[in-house]
Amino acid sequence: MKTISVNGNSLKWEQNMTINVIIGKMNYTFKMLVVKVNGELIKKTEYDMIIIPAAADVRIIHLISGG
Amino acid sequence: MKDIIIDGKKISVKEETTILDAAKELNIEIPALCHRPTVEAYGACRLCVVDVNDGRKTRMVTSCNYPIRKSIEVNTQSERVRKTRGMLLEMMLSRWPNVDVIKQFAAEYKVTKPRFIHPLVDYSSNACILCGLCVNACSEIMWEDIIGFAGRGESRRVVMPFEKHYDACVGCSTCANICPTGAIKMIDDPNQPADSKRIMKYGSKIADEMVLMDEEQCDMRGVGTAHLAQIMNDYDLFPTCNYKFGSHKDAGGLHSDVFKQKYITQGLPDGCWLGCSMSCAKTVEGYELKTGPYKGDKVLIDGPEYETIAGCGANMGIFNPEFVLEANFYCDTYGIDTISFGTGMAFAMECYENGILNKERTGGMEFNFGNEEVGLEALHQMGRGEGFGVIVGQGIRRMKQIFAEKFDLTKKQIKFMQDIGMEAKGMEYSEYVTKESLAMQGGYGLALKGAQHDEAWLIFMDMVNNQIPTFEDKAEALHYFPMFRTWFGLMGLCKLPWNDVEPADNAETDEPAKVPGHVEGYVNFFSAMTGKEIDKHELILQSERVYNFQRVFNYRLGFGTREHDSIPYRSAGPVTIEEYESRAERYDKQLVEKWDYDIKGKTSEEKRDYLRKMREADYQKLCDAVYKRRGWNENGIPTIQKMKELKMDLPEVLAVLKKNN
Ligand code: SF4
Ligand code: SF4
Ligand code: FES
Repeated sequence: MKTISVNGNSLKWEQNMTINVIIGKMNYTFKMLVVKVNGELIKKTEYDMIIIPAAADVRIIHLISGG
Repeated sequence: MKDIIIDGKKISVKEETTILDAAKELNIEIPALCHRPTVEAYGACRLCVVDVNDGRKTRMVTSCNYPIRKSIEVNTQSERVRKTRGMLLEMMLSRWPNVDVIKQFAAEYKVTKPRFIHPLVDYSSNACILCGLCVNACSEIMWEDIIGFAGRGESRRVVMPFEKHYDACVGCSTCANICPTGAIKMIDDPNQPADSKRIMKYGSKIADEMVLMDEEQCDMRGVGTAHLAQIMNDYDLFPTCNYKFGSHKDAGGLHSDVFKQKYITQGLPDGCWLGCSMSCAKTVEGYELKTGPYKGDKVLIDGPEYETIAGCGANMGIFNPEFVLEANFYCDTYGIDTISFGTGMAFAMECYENGILNKERTGGMEFNFGNEEVGLEALHQMGRGEGFGVIVGQGIRRMKQIFAEKFDLTKKQIKFMQDIGMEAKGMEYSEYVTKESLAMQGGYGLALKGAQHDEAWLIFMDMVNNQIPTFEDKAEALHYFPMFRTWFGLMGLCKLPWNDVEPADNAETDEPAKVPGHVEGYVNFFSAMTGKEIDKHELILQSERVYNFQRVFNYRLGFGTREHDSIPYRSAGPVTIEEYESRAERYDKQLVEKWDYDIKGKTSEEKRDYLRKMREADYQKLCDAVYKRRGWNENGIPTIQKMKELKMDLPEVLAVLKKNN
């Protein structure tokens, strides 16, 4: 099984996987995110466009808010 | 999306984008005097005119408010466009010959001296050019509508109602700040900052971010901190039934949308101080109370905030928004803190469900989770100062003592109370489940005043992002964030504009979690206010001095050591089998992967106990690392050396430290 790493957790890789697909799978509903794929910053407008390759290191950094 | 052409260049844009914005994306500049991205285009100056060809005919339109709805071809520099702009500028210059912005635009169109003098000529360099920005900014950024235009044609001017000073103006300076000519001046500046222009610059940056980005970030203007209820539930962090669980199937009942759609009636932002553009406070009007001394009255409720929703809702096993509102109102009315009430009640409820309390001990009340009637009755008793409510009202630390003294409890029951009583240093926990974030356990346990998250909120950094995996990483975060956030207290500033809205480019900075753009704002704010230049390191140092002094102060009063930094186990892991089994997959995995524990054939009880041993040891290791990072000894007391470095080696401080160091 091919996988990717999302914030250090392993997730099954799929064809045509975008950032939005990963966000959905991880149930990340928080909005203030910083996304990097293999160290490259991905802009919000690209969440639906960029296709994630297998074995990618995806960081979906949640910023802090509240309190 | 629509494909359009501007000056021969193709671009595809979302429908309703204005021509001006589309041009900006192509780096084509169009002169725009009365347009700002933060306010609705008013179309006053007409300088932004361009030629638009829709395939049938060519028309001249103002680009700042022309929404693209079909494929068009735009010419921003046609001869007639340039001629029109030149004529407009000549007119303006003849009326306002000394206004800088107009002179600048005019010069670009080779207009330096008008050929005529306008009958209404105004030689002031700060003349009002009727651009309308101030009127729209007051209305759209501040939601205030204090100023407007009066008169028509020649007598058109910006006024307050009836052309008198209007007290309702909050003095926020948004209008003065956006005015391109300096026609509006703030004359009342009671704080007399050293450099008010610099303050305005950084203040308006936040206001602009609020207008442009808040809705898609935290929606603080729309619902305030209530937006967190759903998020916390989604991440298993929403305290449910005294922090046993982090989510619940009925949590949707407490979603901010419910409050927004059904209860929050004022569409206005309500700031803690006049002129705050974040304005997170919300109001429910005309709410009919169902209980208590004001039963039947229609009242106004200030709130609810996230902590109230979680504390007076889910944590008591209640998912009815009207209960939250009623509790919110009566807590405010009686002068009771909603967090202490919610967390304290949750503790009493769990005690009841475990036989530590019973009907006889509560004065006949069935203290089960989810019992709304009892929840409110206890609150009214607290307010009246009678019955069992008085005991709950004294807080968890006292409740533990009172129950142990008054009732015939077993050792096991007393220990159970210690485990589930969510207080540290005598203060009730605020409303986040910390079990899966060691750093956040430290955020609560190591906070000087008690279990409050406002020194450091690290759950996402730690648990979701895995950004601070080692003890040292966590200790660094538990040094930086408490120091940074202490500074807000020192200055009397609100923390929310720091990270409840973030600059558009925050993601591209080296340390997004710190929001460097806003740290810079605070540094500048301090310097501009006081006239004393500081940098971000000095800011931390200012806090460190006070923070360490406070720790010594606690120590002098018999607290402020490792023993007092301890936390109830409920905040570090599952106390009961029910809790363990509800998240068994997660805990099993951790036992195997993190601690190499062979779970085969083990009972939930054995696994829970082993997990506890490991997690409790980790918490102590975290304390070691944090004490070291903060310059404290292994018992959590600031060293004399550290106080010297901070120039806080005052004689009184040294006397306290020498006695025991
Ligand atoms: S100071 Fe603020 S409230 Fe007063 S008129 Fe200007 S924008 Fe409106
Ligand atoms: S006062 Fe300033 S912002 Fe307001 S209309 Fe006049 S020039 Fe524009
Ligand atoms: S900028 Fe478009 S009308 Fe003034």
